[in-house]
Amino acid sequence: MRIGIINLNSGNLLSIVSAFSKTGNEVVVLDKPDSNFDVLVMPGQGRFGFVADQLNKNNWREFILDWIAQDKLFIGICVGMQLLFESSQEDTGAKGLAIFTGEIEKLDFPKTPMVGWAQLNSVDENSNGNFVYFVNSFGVRNSEFCQATVNYGNDFCAIVQKDNVYGFQFHPEKSGDYGLQLINETLQGVAACQN
Amino acid sequence: MSKLIQKTSLVPRIIACLDVANGRVVKGTNFKQLKDMGDPIEMGLQYQHQGADELVFLDIKASVDKQDSALLLVNKVAKTLSIPFTVGGGLKILEDVDKFFNAGADKVTLNTAAVLNPNLIDQIANKYGSQSLIVAVDVNLEASGELVLYTHGGSKRVEKNYASWMNEVIQRGAGEIMINAMHKDGTGSGFDLDLLSNQDYSVPIIASGGANQPVDFLDAINAGADAVLAAGIFHRKEYTVEQIKDYLIKNKIKMRTQSC
Repeated sequence: MRIGIINLNSGNLLSIVSAFSKTGNEVVVLDKPDSNFDVLVMPGQGRFGFVADQLNKNNWREFILDWIAQDKLFIGICVGMQLLFESSQEDTGAKGLAIFTGEIEKLDFPKTPMVGWAQLNSVDENSNGNFVYFVNSFGVRNSEFCQATVNYGNDFCAIVQKDNVYGFQFHPEKSGDYGLQLINETLQGVAACQN
Repeated sequence: MSKLIQKTSLVPRIIACLDVANGRVVKGTNFKQLKDMGDPIEMGLQYQHQGADELVFLDIKASVDKQDSALLLVNKVAKTLSIPFTVGGGLKILEDVDKFFNAGADKVTLNTAAVLNPNLIDQIANKYGSQSLIVAVDVNLEASGELVLYTHGGSKRVEKNYASWMNEVIQRGAGEIMINAMHKDGTGSGFDLDLLSNQDYSVPIIASGGANQPVDFLDAINAGADAVLAAGIFHRKEYTVEQIKDYLIKNKIKMRTQSC
């Protein structure tokens, strides 16, 4: 399997590349669209507006929409997940990819950003109860495609999924053994609990 | 207690600290008399397997010796570990910080540089976000009963008020503050609970210095610490991170566990 990591100039990709490489697959950082891959991963750090703006360069926006329309595997991480929605309170003028409907909202908690480990709450037995690592000030409060939630003042979506599009608000690449397992499961399209 | 009761899924963290000098993990008492404890990568992996929530790598001789070798280590750690890690030691200007983030660090920690050049806190917070910056505050309870700040690995006394410095650090954009109680470091007499209790800081507080027993971790968390950092207790293999967490869970503290 060939995995392409989309480089949107928003943060260090080393940990993402290392984590996906640990699955034994070939991992390449992409500065420009390239169809010669089985999976696209879109990490993102920093402001929604900045990363949304990066999507407008090199025709990424059209390429990703087309990729998803072809039902190919796509994984958005952190702001990369947020960009799968329509818009964000962080930068109201910026446009997301609108794969999912809804607006990203500011987390309602005295200490932001939320930094640390939280336990997933899900009806899916495989993800429910596992701890993952969050670094975010904004989140998705409601989505019909929400597969797992955590709480930070209010519940928000930790995982969204529709067909072959996955969004993780947390950092699987920093979430220890479970994070690596989740990456593996997502790539294989199966949810198998090993231990 | 002035601690806000708010609903959150976040759990208190156990952080293992690796003091590095010349590429080896070392441990000293009161920052002096360094003793070789092992290889940083091997030890980091070991702590990750034991359930450490985060690691901190401090190049403790860097601000004295101006070493650059730490960057290689950071890069290797980023490729090897799958939990967040922080690096510090010898960071003076934004360009130093850039190098560490480029090498793969998740967060940096400032101590001496924050005191000498407080504007660096603003610069890092603006460029990388508050979540990427821990400011460490070395404080010593003097014989006079006064809390005095120190820099340069605990060797230089600073004429700044402790309480106002804590507030300034938060105002300038630090995402977390690590309180190092120097009078407790390496003594194994527990954390300084007075520094944690009845405080209402708007950023997470990491308690550091003095862990000797599992109960010390419990006391620090109950006193209000969001995370507890320890070194020697783990390096000397007196307790594993897992044993500390098991103890805390038995005492009704929610901890990250690694069950599938």
